[in-house]
Amino acid sequence: MTLIAITTQTVGAGIFSSAFLLSLLIWVPVVAAIAIGLMPNPRGRYDTLVKQIAFFTNLGTMFILFIAYNQFENFLPTMQYEEKLPWLPAIGVTYHLGVDGPGIAMLMLSGLVGIAAMLASLGVRERVRSHFALLLLAESSITGAIVARDMFVLVLFWGASIVPLALLILGWGGPRRAAASWRLIGYWGLGTAALLVGVLALYAATGGRTFDMDTLFQTRLSSRIQLGVSVAVIVAAATRLPLFPLHGWLRDALAEAPPGVTIVIAGAASRLGAFLILRVVIGGEPAAAHLLSPVLAALAALTVGYAGLAALRSLDLRHAGAYLAMVPGGLTVLGIAAVSPLGIAGSVLSLFTGGLAAALIAGVCATVSERAQTRSLRLLSGLAPRMPNLAWLMTLGAFALLGVPVLASFSAQVMTFFGAMKNQPVGGFAVAAGLAVVAVALAVLVGRVLFGAPNPDAPGVSDSSLGETWYLGILAGALLWVGVFPGGPKIPGTDTPLFDPGFILQTSAGVSDLASSYTLPIPGASP
Amino acid sequence: MRYAVLVPEAIVVATAIGILLGGRFGWFPRGSRAYLPPAAALLVLVAFGVELWAGASLTSYFGGALVQDRFALFAKAAVLLTAGLALAAADWPSEDSMHIGLAMPLLAAFGVMVASSAADVLGLWAGLELAAAAAVVLVSLRRPDLALRLLLVGGVASGLVLFGFAFLYATTGNADLVAMRDVLVSRAPTIALALPVLLLAAGLAIRAGLAPFHVAGLTVGLGASPLGAGLVMGLTALAATAVAIKVVAALSPIPAAYTLWAEVIAGFAIVAGGAGALAVRSPRPRLAYLAVGQLGWIAAGLATHFRSGIAASLFLLGAFAIAATCGPALLGRADAGEPAIAGLGAVRPLRTAGVALAMLSLAGAPPLAGFFGELAVAAALAQNGSFVLLGLALLGSVMSIAAAVGTLRVLYMQSPPEESRRGAAAALPVVTALSTAGATVFCLVIAAYGLLGNPIFGLADQGAEALGLR
Repeated sequence: MTLIAITTQTVGAGIFSSAFLLSLLIWVPVVAAIAIGLMPNPRGRYDTLVKQIAFFTNLGTMFILFIAYNQFENFLPTMQYEEKLPWLPAIGVTYHLGVDGPGIAMLMLSGLVGIAAMLASLGVRERVRSHFALLLLAESSITGAIVARDMFVLVLFWGASIVPLALLILGWGGPRRAAASWRLIGYWGLGTAALLVGVLALYAATGGRTFDMDTLFQTRLSSRIQLGVSVAVIVAAATRLPLFPLHGWLRDALAEAPPGVTIVIAGAASRLGAFLILRVVIGGEPAAAHLLSPVLAALAALTVGYAGLAALRSLDLRHAGAYLAMVPGGLTVLGIAAVSPLGIAGSVLSLFTGGLAAALIAGVCATVSERAQTRSLRLLSGLAPRMPNLAWLMTLGAFALLGVPVLASFSAQVMTFFGAMKNQPVGGFAVAAGLAVVAVALAVLVGRVLFGAPNPDAPGVSDSSLGETWYLGILAGALLWVGVFPGGPKIPGTDTPLFDPGFILQTSAGVSDLASSYTLPIPGASP
Repeated sequence: MRYAVLVPEAIVVATAIGILLGGRFGWFPRGSRAYLPPAAALLVLVAFGVELWAGASLTSYFGGALVQDRFALFAKAAVLLTAGLALAAADWPSEDSMHIGLAMPLLAAFGVMVASSAADVLGLWAGLELAAAAAVVLVSLRRPDLALRLLLVGGVASGLVLFGFAFLYATTGNADLVAMRDVLVSRAPTIALALPVLLLAAGLAIRAGLAPFHVAGLTVGLGASPLGAGLVMGLTALAATAVAIKVVAALSPIPAAYTLWAEVIAGFAIVAGGAGALAVRSPRPRLAYLAVGQLGWIAAGLATHFRSGIAASLFLLGAFAIAATCGPALLGRADAGEPAIAGLGAVRPLRTAGVALAMLSLAGAPPLAGFFGELAVAAALAQNGSFVLLGLALLGSVMSIAAAVGTLRVLYMQSPPEESRRGAAAALPVVTALSTAGATVFCLVIAAYGLLGNPIFGLADQGAEALGLR
């Protein structure tokens, strides 16, 4: 009976109502991956069919997700589309899923990146079944980690993303794929171990009865325990996001992975790091968040500064793209370090915009280097006239990293910096200085690669294919859409949303709840 | 109805003896190679079904020498499922003798059943020795030299175990495990008690193949036929671990007498298993080291000395037994180094999926059986405050997962050699309807063990409770 005693809270569900909506988002890609994996494919006869199944699976889940996003109640601070089933009651494990504002932002990011990754992978010719099955499994595990409301489930999906992504790099990556893959496993594995230590410490400190976040985060713990748990979680997040100095896997992984995998890692999988800090440290351990906020600000500043300098010194386009993909993570963490409602709201928006920007810059660098047949920045020069589409997309990627107005990252960075300047002014200034270095690096990179003098010794180049333009265009388009219509487009003359209720509005749900521990007391108000 | 509980044992023993005698005296016709393995696997699965149906009743036999409790139910169900799957998934043409190859796993399973039902130290010892002897016989078919070594090392282990049991008997005045525990409640842990317990732990560790005592057993396992390797790595280890769990339950009133040994052995085994798995490249040694690492996790759960920890160990033990026994059997003759398994996924998809899942489960990769068990043990370690051991264990698991991914790369991402160049060293496992079914069921069991783990974990928890743990 317990197995079917499902707790369903259908808040958020409207026209499209399903008690298993989040489960569908997780398990449909798994089922598709298994189907693809078992499908007979003699001599690659059904490669196209495999690609179609994978693509339409993603499109289908994105469709469901878009409906869920539309029906999301942005005024509710609670979790929505909640699912709760006892899983291993003997040790307090519950299959508990749910989303709030940050969760829906991450889901939308993951969905968009998933579709872009599928489009980017259409050119795969070898072992097509395995590639798309692994890609679907990776996406499913990322979705699972986003919607998990039970720490056991979170660790399960967090760890489950490592193997498929490592195999994707190992099987379809560039010449240094083996090193890249092992580094990814090493860093992410240690991060998972750190997360597990933190989770188990929290579990033990709360009496060892449950892994459910609702209970774990409501239990009042001493500052010492909160600090220990938070440090472990920040280490885990720093390996994933990544933050300096735990970024050792990033350059090789993003530079050696095929473009589709690069954008999944840079766009969605990495953002889980910041999401974890937001969910566990900010949401669950307020005392530790206050204590560790200067550390987080320092890590953010070091990350942004290091990324800018490393990109500036890089002689390999994909390495430069990989370093630049670190920048949004640093900015998100700065917003978290602000431990203020504005900073946290900025970091939530930055999860989405940063993921898109990181995926765009890493993806465009991968595509340019493929189309130009070289990664060397000594050879790549003056490509804009010969690859106009990619030139536009690379410029947009650079603008997105810098938070230029009209792009969604602008709003995110404004909120992040405004929030940070109040509580972490030194960190805020340091990150701003780092961002200036990033701007210089981007100016040098874009100037040289796109607008420098054409290099007669460089191999022949061609512009992006239709699939490549689409996958990069989706990422850039989403940044533009949210930047132009942060509150959603309205029917002219009314406040009625046209079809998008507004990304900033939808993702604000639950932010006030997350930030409630960090609001300043109103002077004169009774306690 | 009371004796229905013994039906699974009767089926297993009768099948084993029947096959042995039939093989020896030529009772089976020439074409029996086609139907003997499916018949044996079917009988074991029938025994498994009977065990699940009739094993729920709590009773005792032979004057209390054997008991049927939840622990026995769990361990017996696990070993029957393991044996059935191993027989079904085995690559029979690569085995040295079908009759002995069929009978020995059954006898080993019977040994585990005896040990898990034993109410006194004699039953524990007898069950353990029976399981180990079956492994020696199977190994001797291909490598008599290694079998002799296994026999000698096993003799040492047996001596250590006997010495430990004898001392416990002398200390408590009882051979019965429950009575032993009752006596120990009023005793303080002393060095004089802890040292014999250390010898007992060493003996069981040798039998289980736990690092640093894994060297002899592991080498032997690597030289045996696929099923023989599975027997050494899986079923013998299962028997030793079942005995260890019962001994730990008896010693639970004085945990200080054994927890240090268990923690040291566990930490060493997990790290050495992970490092060893990374260091080797051939699939079977890698499987063996991964199994050593997971056995370390089981030992870590025993070190927690309370119910949830032992339950977690028991839960993990089931996952371990299935993966460690069936892994080499699924690998079949493709065990001659990395080139033998290059691109195996393309030519033997189901078998390869089984090998991959066995490796990942032994490494503790999510979301497979081993992961759930290891996480349950980790939760118990955290509750116990054993964060150093937990850290070591997680380090070992990271290494193990990296090693497993390395093999997955060879299995799925390298191109298979051309058929004309394949040769005997890279011979492919034979595909039959039985092996396909065995591999399929194995994959489903490993995937579903954790995902649908509530009833299994509940049974493991009841098993720990049945041993008197709180």
